[in-house]
This record gives sequence, C-alpha cells and structure tokens, in this order.
Amino acid sequence: MREINKILTIAKFTFKEIIKSNILVNIFFLGLGLLLVTYVAYSFTYGEPARIALDFGLGTLSLSSVGIAIFIGSGILAKEIDSRTVYMIISRPVPRYCFILGKVMGLILVLIVNVLLLSTLTLSAYFFIGGEFAPILMWSILFILFEAIIALLVVSLLSLISSQTIAVILSMIVYVLGHAIDGVKLTSMIAKNKVLESIIDVYHFFLPGYYKLNLKEHVIYKQNIELDYLVNNTFYVLFYSLFLITLCVLTFNKKNLD
Amino acid sequence: MIDFCNVSKVFNTDLLKKDFHALKSVTFNIPEGKTIGFLGANGAGKTTSLKIAMDFIRPTSGEIKYNESLGKNKLEAFKNIGYLPERPFFYPHLTGLEFCHYMGALTDLSKAEIESQVNVWAIKFKIDFALNRHIKNYSKGMLQRIGFLATLLHNPKLIILDEPLAGLDPIGRKELKDIIVQLRDEGKTVFFSSHIISDVEEICDSVIFLKDGEVVFNGSVDQIMKDNIKPETRISYFDGDSLLTEVIPNNKKEEYLSKLLKDGKEIVSLQAEKPTLEEIFYNVKKN
Repeated sequence: MREINKILTIAKFTFKEIIKSNILVNIFFLGLGLLLVTYVAYSFTYGEPARIALDFGLGTLSLSSVGIAIFIGSGILAKEIDSRTVYMIISRPVPRYCFILGKVMGLILVLIVNVLLLSTLTLSAYFFIGGEFAPILMWSILFILFEAIIALLVVSLLSLISSQTIAVILSMIVYVLGHAIDGVKLTSMIAKNKVLESIIDVYHFFLPGYYKLNLKEHVIYKQNIELDYLVNNTFYVLFYSLFLITLCVLTFNKKNLD
Repeated sequence: MIDFCNVSKVFNTDLLKKDFHALKSVTFNIPEGKTIGFLGANGAGKTTSLKIAMDFIRPTSGEIKYNESLGKNKLEAFKNIGYLPERPFFYPHLTGLEFCHYMGALTDLSKAEIESQVNVWAIKFKIDFALNRHIKNYSKGMLQRIGFLATLLHNPKLIILDEPLAGLDPIGRKELKDIIVQLRDEGKTVFFSSHIISDVEEICDSVIFLKDGEVVFNGSVDQIMKDNIKPETRISYFDGDSLLTEVIPNNKKEEYLSKLLKDGKEIVSLQAEKPTLEEIFYNVKKN
C-alpha cells in the first residue's frame, strides 16, 4: 500500500512539474494552429470538408501525442540524473520500480491531458462543420493515446540503455517502422523472400506494431471495423505495455546511476 | 551506522581505455553520534563512496553494511538517512514548498508533519521567505538550503552530505556550519564530504581522508593534531607599542622567556605551535 502511495506521489509531482512548464501553452498554440489549418482546409475543400477537418485533427493529435511522449519521455531519467534529483528520491525509502512507475504514470497523465484538449478541439471543429458522431471516433482517439503510451515506454526503455539523443532517434525509427511494417509485408519482394519474411516476423514479435493502432482510414472513410479487432488490439497494447514496463523496471534496477 | 567493507570500484567507460580504479579496498565505518568529515582532493573517490553507500551505484567488490540501528534492510535504513547530493538542481517548476511536500511524502510523513517540520527548518535555514517561489528562481545558496531542509524533514538519524558548503559565500557557509553543529549537539550522526579542510577542522570530531581511492587516515581530529604538533612555541609580546610574535624551539623556550621578562617586555600569549589540518593533509598529499 505504501509503495502504491509512493508511485502516486511521484506521478503527481511529475505531472505537476511538466504541466507547470510551458507544455500547456505549447498545446494551446498547437490547438490554435490546428483550428486555423482546419479552417483553411475547410475553405478550400469542395465536397467533404468535415472529412478533411477530421483528417487534419486526428493527424495532429497523433503526431503531437507521440512527439510529447518521445521528447519528454527521453528525459525521464537523463534529466533526473543530470540535475541529481533522482538521488533525492531514491535516497528515501522508495524502491527503484516505484520511481520508474511513478514517472511513467505522471507522463501518461500529461499525454491524457494533451489528447483530451486536442481531441475536444478536433471534434468541435468536425461537428461544427457538420460531421456526424460515430463510436469509431472515440476508439480512434483512444488508440492515439495507446500509440503515444507505447512510444513513451519505448523511449523510456531506450533512454535507460543509451543516451537521450540516441533514444529519441531510435524511437522515431521504431515509430516509422511500426507503421510501415504491415504494408511492407504485403509487398511481393517480401512475400517471395523467406529470409526477409522471417525478419519481419521477428520484428512483429518484439517491436511495437503501431499500424494496429491506426484507425484514421477507417474513421475518415467510414469503413466498418469489427469490435473483436478493437478489443484484441486493446489487449495487445495492455500486454505490450506490461512487457515494456517490466523491461524498464528490470533495467533500472540494475542501472548504475552515476 | 554504515560499514564500508573492502569496497572497490572500477570504472571502464571505453573498451580502448584502461580501467579507472576509483576506490581501492576502502574500509571504514561511520560511528553513531559523531560528525565525520570525509576529505580528499577532487577525484579522490569521495562522491563515488557516497554513491555506493546510497546504492546509486554498485561496488565492483566489497560490501556496504547498514547497522541495525538504522533498520533491518536497506529500505528501512533509508528511512533514517537524510542525503543531500553535490550541487543539486531540483525541479525548476515546483515551488520550494511543493518540493518539500514531495520529499516529505516519499518518507511517509503526513501533510501536517511536513508543514510543521518545514516551518521549523525554513526559519533556521532562512529560506522561509522563498518557499512559495519557483525553484528555477533560486540562487545557488537557496538551492543548497532548500535541499538541506528537505534532507532533514523526516528527522533522520544519519545525515550524509556531499560537499554541502561548496560554492557558498562565507555567510552561507557559516550558517550551514552552525546547523551542522546544532545537529551534532542533538546527537545526530553527520557524515559530510568536503575538500575545504578548514571547515572540517572547525566542526568535525573525526576525519576520513581519501587519496587516490584509498583511505590514508581515519581518526579523530584531536588525535591527528596531537600527532602533528611541532616541538616549537609561539610567543607573542609587546615591544613598546608593537605586537611581535616569535616561534622558538621548545628546548630554548624558558631561556627566551627569561630574556624577554628581564628586558621588561609584556608577554601576551604562549602557544604550542601546531599546524592546521590543511597543512597536515597537504603533507599527506605530497607524500
């Protein structure tokens, strides 16, 4: 019980520290930019302005969430060690896993705030232009949050085993690969080459399949999607996040904080 | 309270470079109720030792033992340890008070306990006026004070400070030294690293001196001063209106004093000539 309180305390102050920095201002300006772009796109689009607004909105939401996850998440430990604040925390009766879990939880709260603010703006613009509500919209926003959480965990893990810059670069590469990998597998070059196919199978086993969380096409083109697909991918996120968190905790437990 | 048993630490940051032996079989203990100065030049291994004591880094060999008076295991022991790192820079967007609440909550203190402790210590550290300011606006001295305050919030039995007086102005140093003396008088154990020997001489009961990762002296300040006392006497006297001082070998002291008295000089003081701790350790370093 005490450990849970410590995790929540670390999460609370991590959230507070980030929110009190300029991130909310950045999100606010991003939101304004989003509305402006939506308005411009709406004014120049013939036929389907709501669809364009949604396309821009979800795209911005996804990129900003992953951006925040990668850039702030990469400093989760590096900044703490540089400023020696990590020493102040783990010199108290706080197990190392509490520190990692608290930090990650605090950052997830920041991501939730970002998604809530920007999705509210996006949906407001979409409905204002005449878009119709569909449950898939909510799933899409939820999956964007999931995508950002996985990006956060990936960059946190990488920053524990490499430098902050390398962690950011690798996380971006993994993000792009994670979106492209499914399409690549369908190409004839891969289908004909068993070795490349097995490499992609190995990738699927260990690295995140971000493509599973991209529902934008389904939302914009109003394609049908099975509930099973959504539930299965939710479980995929849950288990993959647990896998990454476990790796983070094990790595941090062994890490020399010098 | 903490025993270092043959602790060695080797760093190897680059495959092409030679190993760096930061600590070589370091053995000492931190006795209860004492103020111990941990001395050594820059790079002698002081901070590495403290990081190992706090389990931030693991020793290559040897072990650290926490006495039962601190707790049955490491986490319990940490409830009774207050640690302040060297040149801390805390969360810039939190206020000093929020930072204290953060640190207090991690040591299982209630809000009321944190507030009462902050009220007491903030005045002593003369930081009460800045508790509601963001830490990013704190000066170096203020950072040191808020860090020290956070270190004492949970009333620890053992206080470990890494270069707590470094970079402070003379007034700031004096004020923090007074607090260390007060903690010593309250029966706390204070272990602090420093390369400013005069500070250690002023407030410590004993010293541990590290040189190139090895303990070269571990004992009381009085003992090391006594062992290094010179066979000379410093005599100060008035010659007319001028105050003069002479250093005379002990075997010629009486003869010289008789001569001064015979010449009608007014003797002001007579003192055994003793080196400062700084001079003693400078010689240790040279040798």
